[in-house]
Amino acid sequence: MSPNILQKYSTGNFHFPIKSGIDNILVNKDTILEITQKIKEDEDLLYDQLIDITVTDNMLSKSSYSNERFTLIYSFLSLKFNKRLFIFTNISEDNLDINSITQIFESADWFERECYDLFGINFVNHPNLQRIMNDYNFQGHPLRKDFPLTGYEEVRYDENLKKVVYEPVTLKQEFRDFDNESPWEGMKETIKEELEKK
Amino acid sequence: MSENFKPVTLNFGPQHPAAHGVLRLLVQLEGEVVNKAEPHIGLLHRGTEKLIEQKTYTQAIPYFDRLDYVSPMCQEHAFALAVENLLNIEAPKRAQYIRVMFAEVTRILNHLLNIPAFAMDIGAATPMLWAFEEREKMLEFHEAVSGARFHAAYFRPGGVHQDLPENLLEKMKKYFTNFPKFIDTLEELLTENRIFKQRSVDIGILKRDDAIRLSCSGPVLRASGVAWDLRKSQPYDVYQELDFDIPVGKTGDTYDRYLVRMEEMRESVKIILQCIENIPEGPVMVENNKITPPKRSEMKNSMEAIIHHFKLFTEGYRVPEGITYKSVEAPKGEFGVVLVSDGSSKPYRCKLRAPGFVHLQALHFLSKGHQLADVPSILGSLDIVFGEVDR
Repeated sequence: MSPNILQKYSTGNFHFPIKSGIDNILVNKDTILEITQKIKEDEDLLYDQLIDITVTDNMLSKSSYSNERFTLIYSFLSLKFNKRLFIFTNISEDNLDINSITQIFESADWFERECYDLFGINFVNHPNLQRIMNDYNFQGHPLRKDFPLTGYEEVRYDENLKKVVYEPVTLKQEFRDFDNESPWEGMKETIKEELEKK
Repeated sequence: MSENFKPVTLNFGPQHPAAHGVLRLLVQLEGEVVNKAEPHIGLLHRGTEKLIEQKTYTQAIPYFDRLDYVSPMCQEHAFALAVENLLNIEAPKRAQYIRVMFAEVTRILNHLLNIPAFAMDIGAATPMLWAFEEREKMLEFHEAVSGARFHAAYFRPGGVHQDLPENLLEKMKKYFTNFPKFIDTLEELLTENRIFKQRSVDIGILKRDDAIRLSCSGPVLRASGVAWDLRKSQPYDVYQELDFDIPVGKTGDTYDRYLVRMEEMRESVKIILQCIENIPEGPVMVENNKITPPKRSEMKNSMEAIIHHFKLFTEGYRVPEGITYKSVEAPKGEFGVVLVSDGSSKPYRCKLRAPGFVHLQALHFLSKGHQLADVPSILGSLDIVFGEVDR
């Protein structure tokens, strides 16, 4: 890895254990365009494929790896060096804007649309920022942690009206979400044992 | 073309046999030539990622069968590897062999659906009937190990659910030694078929650079001449101990994608036969009852086993916090799982990276300037299944 370029943009470590040995950096969201351009063109890096863009909503997370509401995870692959790279960037709830990288990686188009649809991240300068997974007139962003699993609206075909109608969700019984987690922390010990064996 | 000829926008799908599911494709046509093809997806969106967040790690496995429903086991494989990575455990050797073996059976199953479906889109009806007969025989192997033809839920974090039944290896060996003959007959029907070639050669050419630029993976990338296969470049389980080749295409047209898939089936047969030869004896699941459930027989007379069983199926096991990304070479391309755990017994976030999603995005680029009748040919060669595209 060419440490110079990555270090230049890195704004510190991502305080979360990242397994599977993938290189990763945390960057400021304003520099996302520059860094993606650099890692694509730099001859020591050549991350030529964008594998994925995804978001985590940190609202309910028990581990405090980010103070902001959302974390964007960009995942790149270099076919030449057979290496992967994660770029993390934090986005606050008050300002959901981030520059779109579609002009650098063309395949970011649908990934960004998906992040917009499911989390409401606003990609500036995206050519066609529309919903992709959900219905055309859907309201809200379903993968946010404050969106209920059952949703707000349900759809059915009305035989009398001869069309599809939208109605508020009515549950025949209350939504049940059991907390089965035991207060004991017995599990941690065994994992420590496993680790020591290695 | 006369000047007062206006472009026509045609709605292809969502219910169209050649759309391979529920794809709504808005095609802007100038005469017969495609100007713009805009896929509208999401008609099969079930919110799998949201649902997984509400389930324990064990309960999440069946959702992976329902993503790409023609190659279920490969996707469980990615999830199992990701959870194992976070738990810092490794499946026993025998389990790894079984997983590789069945991942390859699944690959053949997938290609045996895609190739004849693609052939049917461009006019050949027989391959479909022939391939489905063979698929049915292979699904019996799925059924033998997991009890289900498709929704297997067989690969678990820590190994596989149960050991192979008796005589299965002999049956599989007998079947797969003869299987290349079937590939030959299938090739006789298609490879040199004049109509098939007229409809597929030089259609939807994806050059090497374009394939990389559009983030293609799997057979689509290899047909464009990039020798890239995660089984070789980033091997998981026992792939590095096995001997197989990576077929690579030259021109990257739909015909090349067909050829690559045909060759891949032969390689898969090689892998399966090697697995049958080399599979060791031993456990098929990590022997740690904090992660994997105890045996039924053990539960009859061990209180501890009953407690473990109860805890595992109510609370589940807790996974140490962390982020991981594990990908496998699924039959359609790179299938990856970004798994975020916050230390509880449910995944905090589970993002599924589906190869079909990326390939479908390339459809506009591939079909631009082609005739409308070529769109099903291109679509068929990309191997799209909406279960994984829409998630």
